[in-house]
Amino acid sequence: MKHRWAMAIDLDRCTGCGACVVACSAENNIPVVGEEEAAKGRLMHWIRVNRYWEEDSPSARAVYLPVPCMHCERAPCEIVCPVYATYHNEDGLNAMVYNRCIGTRYCANNCPYSVRVFNWYDYKWEKPLDEQLSPDLSVRSRGVMEKCSFCVQRIRRVKDKAAEEGRKIRDGEVQPACVQTCPPGALVFGDLEDPDSEISRMFRDPRRFRLFEHLGTEPHVVYLKRRKGAGV
Amino acid sequence: MLDRRNFLKLGGATAFAALFGGCDKIPKKIIPFVIPPENHTLGEALWYASECRQCPAGCGIVVRVSEGRAKKIEGNPLHPVNRGKLCARGQAALQSLYHPERLARPFALTGPRGSGRFREISWEEALSLLLGEMKKIRGKAPTPLLMLTEPMRGHRNLVAARFMRAFGSPDRVAWDPFGQDAFLAANEAVFGVRDVPEIDIARTRYLLSFSGDFLETWGSPVHYARAYGAMRQDRATVRGKFVHLGPRLSMTAASADLFLPIAPGTDGVAALGIAHVLVKEKLTAQAIGASALWNEGLKEFTPEVVAKKTGASPRVLAYVAREFAGNQPGLAMAGNGAAGCTNGTFNLACVALLNVLAGNAGMPGGLSFPNRVAAFTRYGAEAGLLAPPPESGYPAVRGAVGKMRSGGFRMALLSGSTNPAFTLPAALKFREALLAVPFIVSFASFLDETSFLSDLVLPVPTFLEDWGDDIAPAGHSGEAVTLSQPVVNAFHDTRSMADILLAAAKELGGEMRRALPWESFRECLEEAYRGTGKPWEDALREGGFFSLAPGPSRATARASGPALPKVAEASFEGEAAKYPLVFHVYPSTSHYDGRGANLPWLQELPDPVSTAVWRNWVEISPGTAKELGLSDGDGVIVASPSGSLEAFVSLHPGVAPGVAAMPLGQGHSHYGKDARDRGGNPFSILPAREESVARGPAWQSTRVSLTRAKIGGRLVRTAHPEGQWKIGNVM
Repeated sequence: MKHRWAMAIDLDRCTGCGACVVACSAENNIPVVGEEEAAKGRLMHWIRVNRYWEEDSPSARAVYLPVPCMHCERAPCEIVCPVYATYHNEDGLNAMVYNRCIGTRYCANNCPYSVRVFNWYDYKWEKPLDEQLSPDLSVRSRGVMEKCSFCVQRIRRVKDKAAEEGRKIRDGEVQPACVQTCPPGALVFGDLEDPDSEISRMFRDPRRFRLFEHLGTEPHVVYLKRRKGAGV
Repeated sequence: MLDRRNFLKLGGATAFAALFGGCDKIPKKIIPFVIPPENHTLGEALWYASECRQCPAGCGIVVRVSEGRAKKIEGNPLHPVNRGKLCARGQAALQSLYHPERLARPFALTGPRGSGRFREISWEEALSLLLGEMKKIRGKAPTPLLMLTEPMRGHRNLVAARFMRAFGSPDRVAWDPFGQDAFLAANEAVFGVRDVPEIDIARTRYLLSFSGDFLETWGSPVHYARAYGAMRQDRATVRGKFVHLGPRLSMTAASADLFLPIAPGTDGVAALGIAHVLVKEKLTAQAIGASALWNEGLKEFTPEVVAKKTGASPRVLAYVAREFAGNQPGLAMAGNGAAGCTNGTFNLACVALLNVLAGNAGMPGGLSFPNRVAAFTRYGAEAGLLAPPPESGYPAVRGAVGKMRSGGFRMALLSGSTNPAFTLPAALKFREALLAVPFIVSFASFLDETSFLSDLVLPVPTFLEDWGDDIAPAGHSGEAVTLSQPVVNAFHDTRSMADILLAAAKELGGEMRRALPWESFRECLEEAYRGTGKPWEDALREGGFFSLAPGPSRATARASGPALPKVAEASFEGEAAKYPLVFHVYPSTSHYDGRGANLPWLQELPDPVSTAVWRNWVEISPGTAKELGLSDGDGVIVASPSGSLEAFVSLHPGVAPGVAAMPLGQGHSHYGKDARDRGGNPFSILPAREESVARGPAWQSTRVSLTRAKIGGRLVRTAHPEGQWKIGNVM
């Protein structure tokens, strides 16, 4: 069964609330770095919500842009990894093998979207906060690069279940943590191989654009432009 | 992961699991292979339904539990309030369950009050201390017992209220810093119903928001955010338009198509300006028949007059009025910023008036007043205890503070995450008054500013380990009662406040025992919902009763039609010469009233507007900064007539001129190492003033000055103030 997982982010719905960021932290064992490290730009979030100001005071407008890993079809990070720690899997995901990573950080350097984060330390979960850690994926150690995996553990879980029940995966059955929680429903996830899926429909939306489209990375995350109502 | 369809399917498998909610006896380290619990397969997660209590909205949740440990919280797809969705605060609640600084044992004070010297005691000792003190004051007239809690709903509230009544004390106070007093009063004046309406954002075509923060903290944010998404993109041919007026471009305002900065406290006047155009140009059927309003004084509020007061352009106001009338159904709503001024009820009544003039009441895409108490009519006069109106309780708090100071109380029972020693204005001197009470008992999970002052601290379960029931104040039309159950075994040796009160009542005997006849709170709940037609186990599995027959919506039209609200101007403490800026405060999107500040996930979640983490800041517009000679990142002292604090300046292009804005929630002096020393507490420099009609707290009622000062550290923001990318290049 072939899949091509993709995400669409409707900026006309996104309110910038940050629920996706915390949901992702809870799902993916993402460490908390503290104020000092945050000041050095070392937040470990796999998804961030960028805020831009459009125009100047007083008619300023804020625009929110949630940025997970784009899971590029032609990923600039993959070709520079000397140890094949970051690779393209059979579903079109840009995946990481933590055990291979030797921490050159070439991939982060080559990522135009700055979505890769590096474990500068062995981050600690003060006991008993570690009780919350998800058993579905590892806690990464120092010197290892990490990033959004489209919640590959959730994809696997659904795949196993569908295989067990001898059926196809239903549209909307796989939902990464960010998509699941998004209150206004701005994030949509699905399989592009299924032409009738919600995600395929959104990929055909005329509002569609990709981040840094001119770089030719062919991201699997598309954005739908925020529409402007009739202004004054 | 868990969609509605799947959830229903899963239901069968987890029925048994849900039934045994809190009973998995799994030791901390070892998973027993030999005799595993009946419902447990190694490596297979179970989902338990419950309710989130991170804010008063009452969203349903399902919690993924692996090997007896809670791993992830998600929204309950069946729950009418949030339909599977959850906000950042709800997601982060797991960290309070497994927080390193959670209270695991009862503590008794050994040093002087406020010294923080406590010793661990056993539950036996703690309960005998509690009962000993209770017996001492029992039967005294008037009964010198105070109970000050967060607002409670459902049977938790019933137990607390019956306990106090049987004890003979009238002093049961529930404190909510963001209670909706002004909203209730305005709805009573305009619609004749003292309640929170159901707001149908999803089907509206035009949303007019006055200082609203409904997408972040006001009312039921997840419910409204979900509806907001639907309003924008769920309909094939209609995209609802959203216009926001207010003193600050909040996260909510950032989603608006049009943001109009107006001076603080002028929301009501702005609404009247729009109403003026509606009536003058006879834009709606209701406006044509509103000549009485016109003659009562609406004719004075021409867009020009309004523009002078608010700072918005008259042309734009008239345009918005015409658009609002031309795109029905439309909605006008107001939030904390408008309600928290000294003229809050006036502001909200004017906004409600817009809904009347546009004919929105009772319409799809408008607002309606369902009868949410209908589910509890079998309780007769006590029904109101199960679904109390979302008031702040401020007048009662002020009364209690006075009585504490004059020695009227011998004992105080404190509970809840609203943390009065932190969230009450310092000018009220709550701390000093509380210290005059000889014996203070706190039911708490953490040592916050309030429980720190107690003589006896009793550790309670977090909501993930507790039983309960609830009816959400908004987001459904009365058809839903939520149940909460322990999703994991109690992680520490804790007892819930309801259970302790029941145990105390049993010990005290007599009338108290008759009022509270149950052995445990769980028994009380099971008994209450027996005979509702749906088996208790099924209800627990689904998270509650979601298909009750809703009571009929209440009529909204007053016979005489609404009168023009009595015009009131917002007043601000401090002279403009000494304190040049009006102080606008808003609940933090991460920490709400401060309860989220001890959770690392929320501290590290960048604020949506300033993108700051781990610290407090004060926002001013670039123009104001220029006048004051300040620049981005400067340390300043924010001084009001009631106090001062230190903060970093964050330039914000969407703040009205002459306004300084600051989020509430940071600035703890206790409450754990993640919450402590994160800047000043803005509550502490607010005056102890009331809103003029409904008597709720008037948070937006002071002026401040900013003076440059050298303060340690710096404000960490994830976005460079210049923007790391230009938005134009990205698209």
